[in-house]
Amino acid sequence: MSIQNLNTFDPFADAIKSSEDDVQDGLVHVRIQQRNGRKTLTTVQGLSSEYDLKKIVRACKKEFACNGTVVEHPEYGEVLQLQGDQRENICQWLTKSGLVKPEQLKVHGF
Amino acid sequence: MDEDMIFDPSLKKKKKKKTGFDIDAALAEQENTSVEAPAETGDVDVPDDDNLDLDTFGKKKKKKKKFFNLEEIENALPETPPAEEPEPQEEDAVDDLVLEIDFSKSKKKKKKKNNVDDLTVEDDIKGEDQENVEDVHGDWIGSDRDYTYDELLERVFDIMREKNPSMVSGKKQKFIMRPPQVVRIGTKKTSFANFTEICKTLHRQPKHLLDFLLAELGTSGSVDGNSQLIIKGRFQQKQIENVLRRYIKEYVTCHTCRSPDTILQKDTRLFFLQCETCGSRCSVASIKSGFQAVTGKRAAIRAKTA
Ligand SMILES: [Zn+2]
Repeated sequence: MSIQNLNTFDPFADAIKSSEDDVQDGLVHVRIQQRNGRKTLTTVQGLSSEYDLKKIVRACKKEFACNGTVVEHPEYGEVLQLQGDQRENICQWLTKSGLVKPEQLKVHGF
Repeated sequence: MDEDMIFDPSLKKKKKKKTGFDIDAALAEQENTSVEAPAETGDVDVPDDDNLDLDTFGKKKKKKKKFFNLEEIENALPETPPAEEPEPQEEDAVDDLVLEIDFSKSKKKKKKKNNVDDLTVEDDIKGEDQENVEDVHGDWIGSDRDYTYDELLERVFDIMREKNPSMVSGKKQKFIMRPPQVVRIGTKKTSFANFTEICKTLHRQPKHLLDFLLAELGTSGSVDGNSQLIIKGRFQQKQIENVLRRYIKEYVTCHTCRSPDTILQKDTRLFFLQCETCGSRCSVASIKSGFQAVTGKRAAIRAKTA
């Protein structure tokens, strides 16, 4: 405890978090959800609202050959939904296109 | 040829001892060696070899063997049998270990079989491993002089560090945990039978782990009367393991020293991970399930958005 300065703990981490609050933590969350049977759904939450998600989804649908939509959520803003497990694809695509930095990506799921 | 005689039997012995690695034993042995080694410089190979035995097996040893074969006693031994023989045995060993040791198994098995019982986060291990392998071998290739005590000592320590990356920090970390028992129930649900037991091993509230699991898997579930966790959806053991591993990395092992001896405290709205080993205290990410897509019937979606 006496050498707390040496820890990796960032005393300002909380400040950043609470100002932007839980909803937008500056990360892009890529999640997977199971649907019925073996089907899955990939969601991408936290993309900057400055981007045109409709354009993004159009590009992704073509690139990954899957269907997708943009869903408006009262709390999380616009969320990208893609059919199937597109987590790898979307992460690569987002970083390659420069829309998201690799360290901003948070991939969830199994 | 002399060397050949010495190496050959020990190679077999080594393979059998593969199960369960014990740092204490290795340390003790290492001390013995340091006493013996200077006394009998002529026979240095022998204690050194024993050491490898305990220390474990696998790749490095095999490699060393190869080097000797190729460079020194080229035709003494056919190279193929020693190289092939270990494969099936290693598989066995891996299976045995799973029962008592952590579940870093699945990934490691593919990448590097001899590392099954390293318990620390594996990203950190790989780099070191490879460096050491190069280092160590570099000095020994093609030499048939006597090895100095210092060289042997260094070698032993290199090997120990390679096999036990946790020792590099001077700390002993043992993190023994059973793998999750995951069974499908029907077609739509999965049972995580030893969920409560794992919570106890990790010293974490079942609710906390439950929240994390469900948030990560994007599903719902609850603990039933038999203290098993029933999760909606189909999940394999490997998948649950992955999520558990991430949980341990974020909420159990200390972010500074990686000791698992930690306490999770809730302070106002944030969780803090307090380390009992080094005293570090870090805030950890709060668990949020975030956006959940509506996956039910279309009518349900319409009802929600309308
Ligand atoms: Zn610590």
